[in-house]
Amino acid sequence: MIFSNRASRALLILRIALGVVFAYAAWVKLDTPWQLFAGAIADYKLLPEWAVNPLARSLPWAELLIGLLLITGFFLRIAATACSLLLLVFFSLMVRAYAFHMEISCGCFGPGELISWRTLLRDGSLLAVSLIVTWTSFVGRTPWSVFFPRAQRISAPL
Amino acid sequence: MRQNRAKTSDYPKLGSFRQTTPRPLAPAPDFWPAILPPAACRTYNIHMKLIAALLAAMLPCLAASPSADKNKVLGSANAPVTIEIFIDYGCPMCKRFHQEELPLLMRDYVVSGKVRIISREFPLNIPAHKYSREAANYATAAARIGAAQYDAVANVLFQEQESWETSGKVWETVSSVLTPEQQKKVKSLVGDSSVIDEVQADVDYGTAGGINGTPTLFVEKGSKRYPATGGVLAYNLLKGLIDDLLK
Repeated sequence: MIFSNRASRALLILRIALGVVFAYAAWVKLDTPWQLFAGAIADYKLLPEWAVNPLARSLPWAELLIGLLLITGFFLRIAATACSLLLLVFFSLMVRAYAFHMEISCGCFGPGELISWRTLLRDGSLLAVSLIVTWTSFVGRTPWSVFFPRAQRISAPL
Repeated sequence: MRQNRAKTSDYPKLGSFRQTTPRPLAPAPDFWPAILPPAACRTYNIHMKLIAALLAAMLPCLAASPSADKNKVLGSANAPVTIEIFIDYGCPMCKRFHQEELPLLMRDYVVSGKVRIISREFPLNIPAHKYSREAANYATAAARIGAAQYDAVANVLFQEQESWETSGKVWETVSSVLTPEQQKKVKSLVGDSSVIDEVQADVDYGTAGGINGTPTLFVEKGSKRYPATGGVLAYNLLKGLIDDLLK
């Protein structure tokens, strides 16, 4: 992949930060009883009851795996894509709940955090970062390099 | 050349631009001057003030929960698991919890001494619940008379929720389950500052705990305390959680 030095450093920081956030979110959920996360999922009123418990038990492990892969850089394309898809789903569900004035727990970082414009802003930012990381892992250049075609490029690992 | 070069000592020190006269030192603590020079005493004072400010900032975290009215507590004091529930008598989800899940909890855990339930008042300050505070005051006043009276008042407030919420006839609803003597006592107690303060203490405690909706449950065992916010946790999940904690 070809990036300028500054861009590759910024992407590395973004990718690791995203990985740390995912790993932290997973750790918080795994540290609290899974029933509380199941309750948060059930409150969205989208999934049937039989699907809630397996999802509540498996999702934190998936988040942990994605977080670790993003931090280490292994299977980056798969990890970044999975991360973006997950965040896209989370963000859509949160926007829907907020639009319908559902006073429910976000479930993002454990129990006890109601959906608000702050949680939407935070998850929206995470989604934007994730999309940038995913884009660069496939295309080989940053989205903003389109505007700076003459920028110096060197080979650097993402 | 060397002689013409100015020495650093020729220039005034940076501090002297700001302050021409030396600043008086803060008074030293009585027990330190014999050991420390005045400058050290001043540093000591600044550090102590910082520590005091930090401790003051931490006070809300260290504050213990307000003591619960014994008539609002269900179950044994020695129960290993405690559920603290913040309710608003005007909240439909609280009504659902009270009518559907509370009896199941009583049957499965409270009677056997495994779980203790503490009810706390959290009347929401929103236009749709404008009579909730009044209802909470009446329920708290009833609890001062006895547990049976509190249960009766809480039951009728939830049962007739839609009625008194629209008409505002909270007292009529409450008095329907009390004897004339009890009515007199409740009527006199509801205006008592200790009752009003008790409700406010619950609200303050809940707000400090990050609550902004009802019902909110805190399930705790020992030092572990888990919040369940944003709706009623389905009974099978709550049961699973309690069973896991009891293991």
